[in-house]
Amino acid sequence: MNNVPTLDDFGHDPLWITIIKAVAIFVFLMLGVLFGVWSERKLISRMQHRYGPNRAGKFGLLQSVADGLKMGLKEDIMPRTVDKVIYFLAPVILAVPAFLAFSVVPFGPMVSMFGHKTPLQLTDLPVAVLLVLATASIGVYGIVLAGWGSRSPYAMLGGLRSAAQVVSYEIAMGLSFVAVFLQAGTLSTSEIVSAQAQGGTWDVFGLSIPMPSWYVFSLLPSFAIYAVTMLGETNRVPFDLPEGEGELVGGFFTEYSSSLKFAIFMLAEYVNVFTVSAMAITLFFGGWRAPWPISLWDGANAGWWPMLWFFLKLAIVFACFVWIRATLPRVRYDQLMAFGWKVLIPVNLAWIMIAATFKAMRMPDTTRGVVLAIGAVILIGAFAIWLRFDTVNQRRREARAAQIEAEFEQLREEPTAGGFPVPPLDLPHYHGVVPEQARRHADAKEVTSGSN
Amino acid sequence: MNGTIPAPTIEYGMLAPMLVVFGAAIVGVLVEAFAPRYLRSAIHLPITLLSLLISFVLIVWQWVEGVPTKAAAMGAIAVDGPAMFIWGTILVLAFVSVLLIKDEGHFVGAAAAVPGSAEEEQALYEGAAHTEVYPLVLFAVGGMMLFPAANDLLIAFVGLEVMSLPLYLLCGLARRRRLLSQEAAMKYFLLGAFSSAFFLYGTAMIYGYANSLDLAEIGASLGVVGGQDMLLYIGGAMIGVGLLFKIGAAPFQAWKPDVYQGAPTPITALMASGTLIAAFGALLRVFWVALGGLDWNWRPVFYGVAILTMLGGAIFAITQTDIKRMLAYSSIAHGGFLLIGVIATGSAPAQNTSALSGILFYLVAYGFTTVGAFAVVTMVRDAGGEAWHLSRWAGLGKRSPLLAGVFAFFLLAFAGIPLTSGFFGKYAVFQAAVTGGALPLVIVGAVASAVAAFFYVRVIVLMFFSDPAADGPSVVLPSRGTAAVVGLAALATVVLGVFPQPVLDLAHSAAQSLFVR
Amino acid sequence: MQLYVPILVLAVLAAGFAVFSVSIAPFTGPKRWNRAKLDAYECGIEPTPQPVGGGRFPLKYMITAMLFIVFDIEIIFLYPWAVAFDKLGLFGLVEMVLFIVTVLVAYAYVWRRRGLDWD
Repeated sequence: MNNVPTLDDFGHDPLWITIIKAVAIFVFLMLGVLFGVWSERKLISRMQHRYGPNRAGKFGLLQSVADGLKMGLKEDIMPRTVDKVIYFLAPVILAVPAFLAFSVVPFGPMVSMFGHKTPLQLTDLPVAVLLVLATASIGVYGIVLAGWGSRSPYAMLGGLRSAAQVVSYEIAMGLSFVAVFLQAGTLSTSEIVSAQAQGGTWDVFGLSIPMPSWYVFSLLPSFAIYAVTMLGETNRVPFDLPEGEGELVGGFFTEYSSSLKFAIFMLAEYVNVFTVSAMAITLFFGGWRAPWPISLWDGANAGWWPMLWFFLKLAIVFACFVWIRATLPRVRYDQLMAFGWKVLIPVNLAWIMIAATFKAMRMPDTTRGVVLAIGAVILIGAFAIWLRFDTVNQRRREARAAQIEAEFEQLREEPTAGGFPVPPLDLPHYHGVVPEQARRHADAKEVTSGSN
Repeated sequence: MNGTIPAPTIEYGMLAPMLVVFGAAIVGVLVEAFAPRYLRSAIHLPITLLSLLISFVLIVWQWVEGVPTKAAAMGAIAVDGPAMFIWGTILVLAFVSVLLIKDEGHFVGAAAAVPGSAEEEQALYEGAAHTEVYPLVLFAVGGMMLFPAANDLLIAFVGLEVMSLPLYLLCGLARRRRLLSQEAAMKYFLLGAFSSAFFLYGTAMIYGYANSLDLAEIGASLGVVGGQDMLLYIGGAMIGVGLLFKIGAAPFQAWKPDVYQGAPTPITALMASGTLIAAFGALLRVFWVALGGLDWNWRPVFYGVAILTMLGGAIFAITQTDIKRMLAYSSIAHGGFLLIGVIATGSAPAQNTSALSGILFYLVAYGFTTVGAFAVVTMVRDAGGEAWHLSRWAGLGKRSPLLAGVFAFFLLAFAGIPLTSGFFGKYAVFQAAVTGGALPLVIVGAVASAVAAFFYVRVIVLMFFSDPAADGPSVVLPSRGTAAVVGLAALATVVLGVFPQPVLDLAHSAAQSLFVR
Repeated sequence: MQLYVPILVLAVLAAGFAVFSVSIAPFTGPKRWNRAKLDAYECGIEPTPQPVGGGRFPLKYMITAMLFIVFDIEIIFLYPWAVAFDKLGLFGLVEMVLFIVTVLVAYAYVWRRRGLDWD
């Protein structure tokens, strides 16, 4: 296993190898965005029984290239009212951190590159995952500044909404990593990947139960939460509120209506999707390690092969993004925030404490009784809080439903309730319900919803 | 995964008084979260008073058991003689302030509503109340206890913030004169945040010099580390700015009148007594334990600050026409008198003890008197709330001689007339300063006292020898709490003035052990 | 420091690309002046005049931002704890339970006071 990189293997590359790697990552991301856009459009159209782009190049492969060129040749509109410096800087601030997060993503083990033994990863830090979170946070500045600098109501609201959404889901995302660090004992991405090399055994009551190696199995709740937050963090369906066209036109980039500035926003968005996918793979799916049947082959985790596994995993995760987009409707904004703050965070905290208690129980020299007592306290506390909040919510929901019901009741009896002329709500084109009176007429004909 | 990090030892017994207060504050937050609205203050009041009481009993018990001689919690918090004395004083004064706070009508119904808006009217009509006041007060008291006991600059900063943040909020909760109250909160917050930043930056500089945040280790490193003196001087100066701001010493006194005026009067009482005591405790500890070896550098600066503070406070107080502002300036002047005591500390242990015990006694005496004075202010009311303007106080002595008499007594105690507690406080501090060789300061202090006496006497003359205004303010019948506060404060002022020896002895024995190094 | 050099290289590359694209955008496209086109987009109506400096925005967003800071700091405490969990042992677990309970007290308060509700 001496080809598995550790933190000590980093920082020894000569500058030219570093530059080669950096350029490779950059090119990979640029091409990835081009083909990501194409594959998303293609996939989603197949899911909707359409063909999707099929004119430019074979299978429409060159469609995004053509789109990109076209964007470059469009007029660059800079509205008169914008704050010019911020307007100019916002796309840059959004895009650069998106790229940076990829510098700590491990693509593979140690390989020989022009005679140099070097890991297939640009660099690694003792705090690598923190760097990813930091770049995500800096990206929020781009969103806020784009909305702020545009000086238009739509952009402003879109920017604020988007920023509030991203920071809310960033907390849940940050918390979902904690269990991984608890298991791996490190924040370095390469070491997290190597920690997923072989599953340990779980000694419980004298039995040794082998554990699967990928954290997606042993830390399933963490992964489930992360999967939700990565949709929220990247503003993807079903959490694409900032771009809710019906309400906010284009969200924070309403005023970036054409030209390459708009292209940079699109680019940053897709790179962010790749980043969160790559983090999902690194933290939960064993990184570049080959999946189970292939991993039986000795050479699977050596040389350049792992890069292929990594790309395949990336493609699958990205396809899941598209699948979700084709499947789910957009959530409402208050639902989105309530879900982030009231469900993901407490569940996450409770899960972290449970995972920590399990871990403490497996430590050799601790008093099991104490740990069990703490575990019981945590469980009871979590349950009590949940019960309390749940009944409170339940009561509130029932009260609201009763109120709405009462209002409808009033409206039904008296159409002009509240002083406003209200059409009777039992007209046929509301829900196609035929009123009692009309039904008694023999010639009454039911009118379907939507017709007049 | 080699090696383990040893678990730190924490002397929970020694820290118990503080932990009780913080625990009660957290319980208070839970009460806020889960108790129904109409029950809240009924639950809060016993919790708050009981926790303060239990904490005080714990301190007394520990005092009887024997004062610890080693800092607790891995050297982060020093529970020594002076700290315990300060804790006890703060707890008693906080207890008394809570009795004032519990009265109806001091706090706004909905602080977030725009002053004069329909929402505010609605909240008042519904009888809404911010019962968060109680947990906030407990947090502030906990911070006041942590701040002077912190044996580590970082813990001191935490204490400073825990003490200040609730007070910023509480300042903005006055029921009447909302705009003034909000302005006070905003000013206090901005200036306070600024001074905290000074403190923190100074801490960073000192860390750069001494490679430690522990006060004793910083003290030991003075003169040992070479070539970094600039860091030390700048850091020490910045920490000084942060601490002097909390005291309200002269170049940093500007916030005090505005904040004291705008804050709800019970909160002003708490700030004027508790914050001042805590800040002096921290100032003494930091400049003694950590920067004691540097006293040739800071002593001259403190000289200047003390003179400026005394004279500035006294002279500005003359021009005030508002009773709360006047008391605020008087508090500034008293801060100056206390600084004399700080300067009086010397190298000889006996001198240190006498200076320290003088300061401690002064703090007790001043704390009780000031709480009593503000309690009286809450009782003199107009149609629009408390009557602050001095002209409204004219002839009060003829209308309610008892109240005016008690207030006059407090004012005389502020002035330091014999047979009041203020006299012995000043006497103890000045005496220590004379033996410490700070005679010029004592002379300035005496002059400032004379100037201050003028405006105290002026209020007394106004109350007793001028005709009452036709539509003068009415004196409300005090609630039992307020009456108890005024009575207790008056009693303390008399007893400390006539028979100060027990408290002086207590302060002396607290100061005997000096600060733990 | 050596570990951070590659990040800097990638940053220079990305920033160069982004700045380049944004700056050449005005030169690659045509320019046809039109007054309405240069107004802020508001679905065709006359744009609302925006106050200088951005004006006010709903307080709700600020509350979210403050809560974010509270919880972000909590996360920052959780990370080193998680990494050093084996070394801290039982003491670490107990301390973290206490810490999270304390934070949850504030969380419960915010929740009950509708600080987490959007409307």
